[in-house]
Amino acid sequence: MNRLDYFVLIATILAIPLYGLWRTRGSASLRQYLKGDATIRWATIGLSVLATQAGPITFLSMPGQAYESGIGFIQNYFGQPLALIVVCAVFVPIYQRLKVYTAYQYLGERFDQKTQLLGAFLFLVQRGIAAGITIYAPAIVLSALLGWRLNLTIWLAGGLVIIYTVAGGTKIVSITQRYQMILILVGMAIAFAVAVYRLSPDLSFEGALSVAGKMGKLQAVDFSVDPHKRYTFWSGLIGGFFLALSYFGADQSQVQRYLAGGSLRESRLGLLFNAAVKVPLQFFILLLGAIVFMFYQFEKPPVYFNQPAYERAMENGYGPQLAALQTQFDDVFTQKRAAIRALSNASSNSLSNERDMAMSRLRDLDSQAHQLRDRTKAVLQQAGVDPKSKESDYVFITFILQQMPHGIVGLLIAVILCATMSATAATLNALGSTTAIDFYRPLIRPNASDHHYVVAAKALTATWGLVAIGVASFASLVENLIEAGNILGSVFYGSILGLFLAAFFIRRVSGSAVFFAALLAQALVFILFATTNIGYLWYNFIGCAAVLILATLLHHTVFRSAQVPAGV
Amino acid sequence: MNIGDEKPDARSWRKAYGLALSLFAVEVVLLYLFTLRFS
Repeated sequence: MNRLDYFVLIATILAIPLYGLWRTRGSASLRQYLKGDATIRWATIGLSVLATQAGPITFLSMPGQAYESGIGFIQNYFGQPLALIVVCAVFVPIYQRLKVYTAYQYLGERFDQKTQLLGAFLFLVQRGIAAGITIYAPAIVLSALLGWRLNLTIWLAGGLVIIYTVAGGTKIVSITQRYQMILILVGMAIAFAVAVYRLSPDLSFEGALSVAGKMGKLQAVDFSVDPHKRYTFWSGLIGGFFLALSYFGADQSQVQRYLAGGSLRESRLGLLFNAAVKVPLQFFILLLGAIVFMFYQFEKPPVYFNQPAYERAMENGYGPQLAALQTQFDDVFTQKRAAIRALSNASSNSLSNERDMAMSRLRDLDSQAHQLRDRTKAVLQQAGVDPKSKESDYVFITFILQQMPHGIVGLLIAVILCATMSATAATLNALGSTTAIDFYRPLIRPNASDHHYVVAAKALTATWGLVAIGVASFASLVENLIEAGNILGSVFYGSILGLFLAAFFIRRVSGSAVFFAALLAQALVFILFATTNIGYLWYNFIGCAAVLILATLLHHTVFRSAQVPAGV
Repeated sequence: MNIGDEKPDARSWRKAYGLALSLFAVEVVLLYLFTLRFS
C-alpha cells in the first residue's frame, strides 16, 4: 500500500460516518433513537439489510472459499428468498401493528415476561460473540498482511463504530449502511472487472470458466441428499430457510433495520429487494473467487497464502524444508499450466481422447499441489507459527494487494473495513436496544423519562461495543471466518425461531410450555453439536422443530392447567 | 391473532410475493444450467 491507497482508505472510512453524524445531529426521542424517524425509504432499508448480513466475512472469506472448494456455498442462500417472503407476510405486519422496539417485546405480549427475556437473552449471547468475530475476522488478516498491530486495528475499527452508533442510533446506522453498501458494491464490481482483465490471454473468459468447471470449482447446484454434505440444494433450501427466517424474523439486528421504515410498504419493499438480489450478488462474489483461482493457474501463487506465517517459519529455521517444498510446488505449477493449455486446445479442437488425458493429468497435478500445500501447513505447525485463521481467508486479500493498481487497493481495503463497520454498527445498535428495552426498562427502571432511556440505550450500546472489542481481542478462530459466524448462528437460531413460530402459529399453548420447550430444544442442539457431525444448517431446523413439538407436548401434559394467553 | 395483511392492497402484495418467488425459481434454474454447462 502506498500513500494514495492510505489516502483513499482513510478518506473513505471517515467520510461516511462524518456525513451520518451531520445528518443525525441534535437530540432524539427514544422512538427516534431506536427506530429512526420514520422517513427512511425502502432503498435505504434494502441496502441496510444487505449490509447488516454481508459483513467483512462475505468479502474477505467468500472468494477464498470459492478458490478452495468451489461456488457450492451459494446454495446456503437458497432458503433466503422464501424466508424473506414469509417475514414480509407474517412478521412485519405484526411488529408494525404492535409498534414494538424489539422483536422480543412481541414474545412478552403474546406469552409472558420470562419467554420475552429468554428470547432476548439467546439473542444477546449469540450476537455479543458474533460482534466480536465480525471485528476480529478482518483485523487478524489485515494486521498480518499490512503489518498493522492487531489490537490497534481492532480498537480503531471498533472504536469508530462505537462513537457513531452511540451518537446517532438507528438512523445513523441506516444512513451510513446505505453509502457503505454502495461503496462495497462499486468496489467489488471493480475487483471483478480487474480480475477478469488480468486473466491469462491464453484463455478466453468462457475457456477459463470451462477449465475452472472441469477442476470442480463451478458446481453451483448439488441435489445430493447426503446429510453430511455441508452444501446441497436441500440443506440450503430447508436449513437455509429456517436460518434466514430466524435471522430476518427474530434477530433484532435485522428487525431493527426494517422497522426503521416509515410504513409497512417501505419495510416490505426493502426486504423483497433483498429476496431478489441476494442470490445473484453472492454468486458474483463466489464467481470472483473462481476467477482468482483461474488467474493463479497461470500466475504462480504463493505455496501458502498466509505469507507472514510462512516467513516466520523461515526465520525459525525451517527454511530448507520450506524451500524444498517450494521447488516441488513450482515444478507442479509449471506442469499444471501446460496441462491447462493442452486441455483448452483439445476442447476447442473437439479432440475427446486428448481432452480426457489432459483432464486426468490436470486432476492429478492439482491433487499434488494440494498435498504440497498441506505439507507446507504441517511444517508451519511444527515451526510453532500455526495461523489463527484458515489459509483461504488470505487468498482474496493477497490478490488485492499484489495484483490491483494503487488507489484500488486502498478502496478495496476500505470496502472490507466499511463492511466491518456496517455489520458491527447494526449489531451494537440491536444489542443496546434489546438490553435497554427488554431488560433495563422492565426490570431495573420501569417508570423513568424518555430521555433517561435514550441515555441508557446509548450507555448500553457503548458497553456492548467494549464487550465486542474484548471478544475480538481474545478470539482465536477454529474454522474459517464464514463458517464461524454461520455455525454460531445456527446453534442458537433454531430455538429463537421456534419461540416466534409457536407464538404465530400455535393458538393454544401457554408461555411456560414454550419457555421450557425452548430451553430443552437449545440443550438438544448443544448435545447434537458436541456429539455429531451433521451439517450445521440442519440445527436451525432441528432446534425450531423441537420447540414446536415439545411446546405442544408440554402444554398437553405438564402445563395442562396453565392459562393460555389471548392471541396478539 | 389475525395473521396476514388486512389492508385492501393484500392482492397486490400477493402478486409481489409471487413475482419474488418466480424470480428466485429463475435464478435457481439459471444456476443449474450454469452448473451443467461448466461442470
